[in-house]
Amino acid sequence: MSVMLKEHQQMLHQMVVEFSRKEIKPLDMLIDKQKGYPKALWDKIVETGFLGLIVPKSFGGADFDPIAEAQTIFDIASNNASVAFTLEGHYKTVDQLKKYGKETLKNKYLPQANKRIFGFGSTEPQGGSNVMGHTASAVKEGDYWILNGNKTMITNGGLAEVYLVLLKTSENELTCFLVDKDMPGFKYGKQEDFFGMRGTPVGEIFLENVKVTEDYMVGKIGDGIRIGDNAHYDARINMGAIAAGICQHALDIVLDYATERKALNKPIIDLFSIQNKITEIAIAKENTQLLYEEAAKLKSQDKPYDKVSTMAKSYGSRAAFSACDHALQVLGGYGYSNEYPVEHLLRDARALQIAEGSLEKMVIEISKSVQSERV
Amino acid sequence: MKKVDCMTHKNIWIVAEHHQDIIQPVTKQLITKANQIKADKKVTVILFQTKEQKLEQQLLNYGPDEIITVCDDRLKEAPDSLIADLLSQLNHKFQPNSILFGATVIGRSISARLQAKLLTGLTADCLDLKFEENLLIQIKPSYGDNIMCEIVCPNNYPQMATVRPNVFMATEIQNKEAKIVIINDMNFIEDKRITVYEEIPLLSKSDSIANADRVIALGRGMSGKEHINKASRLATKLGAKIGVTRPLTDLPSFSVDDQIGQSGSSIAPKLLITLGVHGAVQFTTGITKSKYIVAINNNPKAPIFDIADYGFVGDAKSFVEALLKLIQ
Amino acid sequence: MSLNIVVCVKQVPVSNNLKIDPITKNMMRSSEPGIMNPFDQNAVEAALKLKERFDAKVTLLSMGPKNFEITLRQGLAMGADDAILLSSRGFGGADTLATGYVLSQAIKAIQNVNLVFFGRQSIDADTGQVGPIVAELLDWPQVTYISQIHPIDEKSIEAVRLMEHMQQSIKVKLPAVFTVRSELNVPRYPSPRSIMLSYQKEIKVWDEHSFELDLNRIGIQGSPTVVRKVWNPTKVDKETELLGEDPERAARKLLHVLRARDII
Repeated sequence: MSVMLKEHQQMLHQMVVEFSRKEIKPLDMLIDKQKGYPKALWDKIVETGFLGLIVPKSFGGADFDPIAEAQTIFDIASNNASVAFTLEGHYKTVDQLKKYGKETLKNKYLPQANKRIFGFGSTEPQGGSNVMGHTASAVKEGDYWILNGNKTMITNGGLAEVYLVLLKTSENELTCFLVDKDMPGFKYGKQEDFFGMRGTPVGEIFLENVKVTEDYMVGKIGDGIRIGDNAHYDARINMGAIAAGICQHALDIVLDYATERKALNKPIIDLFSIQNKITEIAIAKENTQLLYEEAAKLKSQDKPYDKVSTMAKSYGSRAAFSACDHALQVLGGYGYSNEYPVEHLLRDARALQIAEGSLEKMVIEISKSVQSERV
Repeated sequence: MKKVDCMTHKNIWIVAEHHQDIIQPVTKQLITKANQIKADKKVTVILFQTKEQKLEQQLLNYGPDEIITVCDDRLKEAPDSLIADLLSQLNHKFQPNSILFGATVIGRSISARLQAKLLTGLTADCLDLKFEENLLIQIKPSYGDNIMCEIVCPNNYPQMATVRPNVFMATEIQNKEAKIVIINDMNFIEDKRITVYEEIPLLSKSDSIANADRVIALGRGMSGKEHINKASRLATKLGAKIGVTRPLTDLPSFSVDDQIGQSGSSIAPKLLITLGVHGAVQFTTGITKSKYIVAINNNPKAPIFDIADYGFVGDAKSFVEALLKLIQ
Repeated sequence: MSLNIVVCVKQVPVSNNLKIDPITKNMMRSSEPGIMNPFDQNAVEAALKLKERFDAKVTLLSMGPKNFEITLRQGLAMGADDAILLSSRGFGGADTLATGYVLSQAIKAIQNVNLVFFGRQSIDADTGQVGPIVAELLDWPQVTYISQIHPIDEKSIEAVRLMEHMQQSIKVKLPAVFTVRSELNVPRYPSPRSIMLSYQKEIKVWDEHSFELDLNRIGIQGSPTVVRKVWNPTKVDKETELLGEDPERAARKLLHVLRARDII
């Protein structure tokens, strides 16, 4: 770890580690097999106050900074990536409300962020990265905005009750709005059945003539792309933390296994080929951690963090997948078996190369960023 | 007042503990030990009972010199403070050298209250006791290291100590000179602030490892879920109870009541099988009275092998599986 | 009239391998990282549950060196309102009686306390004595080894005391001293918000001059018991019969031996 945690961050870290180890870890495989969180676990997560981690104190939250937030995601992801992914989706949405919401909206919804899950709706059936090809819309009628369309592939979609959505307010303009599942015209849509991260619900929502006042516009007209981008940059810090957490989880499994398992009367950890893989996994975790911690540090210092956070996800997603692949190989037949936790780690890791911006989009963004630094 | 020169304070008191008209083993064990170390002193048992209970005979079988009995129905469901106060009155009257209690829930609760009343010293969980003249030497292990301590209370009477059940052994012995003294003039101070209004006996006493004839002890090397399942099956087949070392008390299937050792129960089974137990002194102090100890550990240097009668150096789970296959 | 609760807590070492000071023969407390004694966590949780029900104030109290502050922080993070650390060289080397005396005087100094919680014992020293000692010195009724609490109102409580052979149902009028078992509750995780807020609370530190104390009754001078000698016990080396390397053969041999000796 490259950051020095302050005392209260240290105490948070201790609590999260203990909670994750005692409450989440024993359910890791079950969450994958049952494709969802046991209610008792989710209730405990909400009751313990994880949802309010970054909500400001004045709104009943814990007000922790990006460093503590990323640390928390890492600690949880080291035990189960889906729970971490759900929290990541919630935090990134809350973050945009904090940054761009009007006071009246924040007063109403930030306190609710302590108890209700938030999700960010950007992708539509016809495209993800190409936001200007979207059709979901918001049309002004008198004092109200009428919202129509559907958003898919929303992290926490189906579980989340409050959504920030990006809607076309004109041919060339995207604007961000807040919608609540209790609003007339809001409907839940299809839930995805994914290869990995099977605990995290991913789903679609439909908006049919949902009527909201001006207060529910987040940011100004046309801020949609900017807010969407910022959501990505915030998310990618935590995606890096999830990647590092998956590496850590893989490392723990491999070390346990390789010290117990014997070949020719000696534990296989004595073999160079195994040590090689252990090293790869350990370095993958270390590098990814350095990247996301650096991004978190920059964000907490109000410095630009978009490039580094994007790198954290770009690098971390590939490193985690490769690390899990190594781990699977170390466990051999057991690694390939559904009865051991390694194979679902690999499936969880694969999601990171797609969610919050595909690898290909990362390449475009990073190279643009690097070029602009030369000017 | 220097203990060596003191001509008074010649009585060793044991406060008897009984439940459902049966004197508890720890009381009998303390009487036996006190008799062994008394030298020129007298062993007196303090017995609080209701008018219809006649528990003296059970105590006489263990050979105390004297039993001081207080018979009163107000002793039924008496709060700790009442008993402590009665003992304080008796202490004032008889000035004993030492007062010993079993280190049980009730023993600890009353002895500590009495200690504060009398402003004297109390040493809990002694592993051994001996006298030097009038000075009671209280021996117990130190908190974690492989170290034993001698503790004394040089300037105060009475000297107080508690001892866990099964640390000492009880032996029946006759004492033809034994006297029974009945005290009738105790002052019963009723405390209106506290009422014990119901006592429900618990059936789970039979599950206790402290009384089990066969015990399987699990250590860190057997703490995985599968390991515990296999050990449970073995325990069922052997008619054994399962005890654990301290780290396992954190697991959901176990609690501090299943712990064997310095902070847990002392056990005295005919057969003890330890699985994946290292054999640190905090554990072994609880098993020295076992008749046969079979130790399984994959570390040949584990100290458990120093006190085991039989040993298997290897994987505990494989050994248990092999045993399970053979016992049908 | 609301409840004013004090929870006496103690920090214990994480591992049980401690160092003994060779001169004073007491535990060297400052050498190990610590956690709140697990039974004290149950005590804090019990107090917090009463706080939720009766709008009580919960104050943590601990006697120990400065590094006990982390344990008080943990208790504040669970939701306690206040924390007081009794820390001074003069308190050091205390046995249970001296410790109980200092705690009871501090409780008197806090004033208007009507319920004091302890964990049933600490996992290092394990004596379970200090609770009853404090009860006696305050002249309050005590209920020890509590496994259930059923408050009647702010003035009296019903509790179940779980013993080895039986359980007692006890009704007690406050003020009183309670010691609790782990069966009583599951201590809550401190919420992130509580953790953040707890660092804004001040932990008061009192020494032997901060409240009324007879200095002859504190620390080493107030301790009737004394460790007079420590030694390494000589190892009893038994002749261990090894059962061989193969688990199947070893198991067979063991069963044979145990049957022969009539053990099974």
